Amino acid sequence: MRMPLHRKVLIYLAILLVLIFFLGPIYWFWALSLRSPTSAFASPPEFFFEPTLNAFIYTFVNPGVNRPQLVSSLIVASGATLLNLPFSVTAAYALSRFRMRAKQFLMMWYISLLMAPPIVFLIPYFILMSSLKLRGTYPSMIIIAQTITIPFSIWLLKSFFDEVPIDIEEAAQVDGASWHQALTRITLPLALPGIIVTSMFAFVFTWNNVIFPLVLSNQSTATLPVGTLNYFATTGATWNFIAATAVVTMLPPMIIFLVLGRYIVRGLTFGAVKG
Amino acid sequence: MAGRLSSRRNLPYLLVLPSILGLLALIIYPIGFSLVNSFRQWNLQTSPVPLGFVGFLNYQMVFQTTPFLDSLRNTLILSVAGTFIEFWFGMGIALLLATQLKGTNAVRALLIMPTTIAPIVAGFLFRYMYYEKGGLLTWLLTQVGFPVPPQGLLGSSTTALASIALADIWQWTPFFAIVLYAGLLSIPEDIKEAAIVDGATGLRMFAWITLPSISRTAIIVVMIRFMQLFNMFDLVLVLTRGGPGTASRTLSYNLYQEGLVNYNIGVAAAMTWLIVIIVTILINVYARVAFRGWEW
Repeated sequence: MRMPLHRKVLIYLAILLVLIFFLGPIYWFWALSLRSPTSAFASPPEFFFEPTLNAFIYTFVNPGVNRPQLVSSLIVASGATLLNLPFSVTAAYALSRFRMRAKQFLMMWYISLLMAPPIVFLIPYFILMSSLKLRGTYPSMIIIAQTITIPFSIWLLKSFFDEVPIDIEEAAQVDGASWHQALTRITLPLALPGIIVTSMFAFVFTWNNVIFPLVLSNQSTATLPVGTLNYFATTGATWNFIAATAVVTMLPPMIIFLVLGRYIVRGLTFGAVKG
Repeated sequence: MAGRLSSRRNLPYLLVLPSILGLLALIIYPIGFSLVNSFRQWNLQTSPVPLGFVGFLNYQMVFQTTPFLDSLRNTLILSVAGTFIEFWFGMGIALLLATQLKGTNAVRALLIMPTTIAPIVAGFLFRYMYYEKGGLLTWLLTQVGFPVPPQGLLGSSTTALASIALADIWQWTPFFAIVLYAGLLSIPEDIKEAAIVDGATGLRMFAWITLPSISRTAIIVVMIRFMQLFNMFDLVLVLTRGGPGTASRTLSYNLYQEGLVNYNIGVAAAMTWLIVIIVTILINVYARVAFRGWEW
């Protein structure tokens, strides 16, 4: 069906407005990270200014106040992603492949954990980790992140296992392979893209999480968002530093989502919408 | 053979067991801890260990000494209004994209960017734009004649909650747009054509064909998003800290304030239980509707 030209123009115009509304704030904050402190709060706002890399240099190079936090964020997000895999891959495989009477109940249980407010787990953990002298360590943050990553990964991974035809696996078993040979040699390699996609989402969710490290980290294990929050406690013009650290915090999830492409819908809906 | 069969029957349960045990280990402690301490007097500022049992006093204190009902009201307003606006705004964008004009794929990839960033970072973006002097949004609103309160958008009790909602709408409308767009594309062409032959156009087409065809997807995303909004914490922390007064305090933030700022562990534990009960009811009602007839 051909569309009249004026209608096309109207639609493009509407899409342009939508893009300005949703990308404008991101652009404005990236611009802030390149401004001088005097330009940051100029009134009226300055749309043209002379960019400087000073904020990035201060936060990540010299003295690099926020560089250790970048490392902490990487450790916590990678650790939580890796720890979650053995738990979620096995469970998702079982829930996809076998008839189980408790299946619906289990799936509901996982998703309700996923949708519970994280803060209810946090206060008891704060006391527990304090008394075990584990508060401020990476393991404390990596372990509590599993309350989100494990149920999430089980849901998403199950949707990927569901798409690997069970016939291939059965054929292998008829040929004399045991169930774990069929799993490791046939199903897992076929489900590998799904496992990678799931890991990327688990990484982003942990990377973007602030409430657990806010309470469980200390000065030397603080993650990037917590380090950025600390700037609000100091007085003076630190917004350029906030913007520089925030830009660095934004980049990995943005790049990962660009790579994820058509899997975005599925991941954000825990595999419930195939997309 | 019998042994082999039975081991095979137990196999799926053996495979899910690690995740069940792991998660139980993670949640039984918090739940038990909250249950026991909700009946004990314990403020970390005055004592490192719990003091005596106080019956249901902590539950009473939740309502008397913390703005629990105000927080509940704010949370409900935020969740209902936020989900509603994000859904319909997202639906509008999805319909624009569904015209499939050139460049739609690039637009889709760019549009999702707000959803990818950490909620706390979205909070930084908006706090900067809300700034009273020189903040972009404050300036723009003043230019178009909107009466920005002198304390700023975040400092006034009439605009604080709406300002939090706007930041969330900005971040999550693309989520609805992208998911609903995927739903729109999956409607079979012949259904649409049959409807057109039957004379359905515009709004009728949307209400009778389009909306019912994607209702399943819509219900699931609404459920997910409603619960995420119900648990709202990050934006409150960075934008208003629940203020001014209790104007923008949410349930999660109220619990954080009582437990990890005031260190009233006993009262916080009682509140945890009240929140767990509310959330359990909500999730059960929703999940029953969203996953009705679902093939597990």
